[in-house]
Amino acid sequence: MQVEPRERVLSATYACVARFGMGKTTVDDVVKESGVSRASIYRLFPGGKDQLLRETVGWEMNRFFTRLAEAVYEAPDFAGLLQEGLVFAHRSIQEHEVLRKVLETEPERLLPLITVEQHRVLDFITAFLLPYLEREQRAGRVQPDVDLGAAAQYVARLVLSLIGSPGRWDMDDPAQVRLLVREELLGGILV
Amino acid sequence: MALPTMSSVTPEDTTLSPPPVESPAERIEERAVRATLVCVARHGLAKTTFDDVAREAGCARATLYRYFGGKRQLVLITTAREAARIAASIRAAADVEETFEDAVVAMFVRAARELREHEALQFLFAFEPEVVLPHVTFDAGNRFLVAAGSAISPAIARFIPAERVERAGEWLARVALTHALPPTSPIDLTDEAETRPLVRELVLPGLLHSEPGT
Repeated sequence: MQVEPRERVLSATYACVARFGMGKTTVDDVVKESGVSRASIYRLFPGGKDQLLRETVGWEMNRFFTRLAEAVYEAPDFAGLLQEGLVFAHRSIQEHEVLRKVLETEPERLLPLITVEQHRVLDFITAFLLPYLEREQRAGRVQPDVDLGAAAQYVARLVLSLIGSPGRWDMDDPAQVRLLVREELLGGILV
Repeated sequence: MALPTMSSVTPEDTTLSPPPVESPAERIEERAVRATLVCVARHGLAKTTFDDVAREAGCARATLYRYFGGKRQLVLITTAREAARIAASIRAAADVEETFEDAVVAMFVRAARELREHEALQFLFAFEPEVVLPHVTFDAGNRFLVAAGSAISPAIARFIPAERVERAGEWLARVALTHALPPTSPIDLTDEAETRPLVRELVLPGLLHSEPGT
């Protein structure tokens, strides 16, 4: 299958970051890894290394949340979807070797980029959740007067927070996750 | 140069009220903390030197050095004192309210205003996010949320069952943090009219609801 040059460059940058870290990865490394010419890389990413790193962080975040969506989309209902999603996302973050390594060694480079890219993730999660909420409403399981858009935004924001930092919650304990979802997260939304 | 994690501030620290009479050491510390905040608001953390702070505080460098032993210690103490001051301000906002809803709305609005009016923090968010973010995200975020939750729990203890107080404190800290950090929230927590529906419709029911069979 033919892979688009853009995709090849992002995937190569990701491989370089995994190997060398963000600080030490150079555009030349990406040229070697991707087989895409230096000139083409600068045409695709005029901002050079900074833009490559920023878009690679965004690219990997997209992949992460796409895998998450694929893992949970068949959940039986909204609460079940959130429970499965939190458990899956927590485990994926724990097992994400590149993320763990860069968080350990170069958090000051990574975290501002994650923050910049996060608004798209938030929109993605909100849009993903809304149809499930609408289905709950048609089934009569949503409290009266709930603004579904606002509810989806709220849940998306809090889910994103819980994925990164669960706080005192043990995401490996299904009973705790169930409580967290049905009380804290959805207490004001579902009947 | 790293800021301390917020977990270094224990709930005990944050409930201390300042002694009525300040010793010379406390006056020096207070002046140094104020001066550090002024310098960071002006030039950021990386560019602020120990000498800058001494000059701003109107202290001899040697005096300041005797108390703090360097920039790292100065920043640690400044962060701990500011965290304690902001936590106390948030609790005080809740203490004058009659109902749970009013108390939570008041706490969110106060927290958001403390952040917005904090010139040093605003500088860091805008120009040196790499200084702040490692202390409020991922694993450090866990410690921050637990510490912040414990710090505000005393202010909500009169409204909910004892076994849910710490949990509720952490949830409130989480809601406030996630609306205060980027991505920008459509809800401006400094605005009471925008904050109240969020609290009434989405936040409080989550803290009061008990799932049957759990």
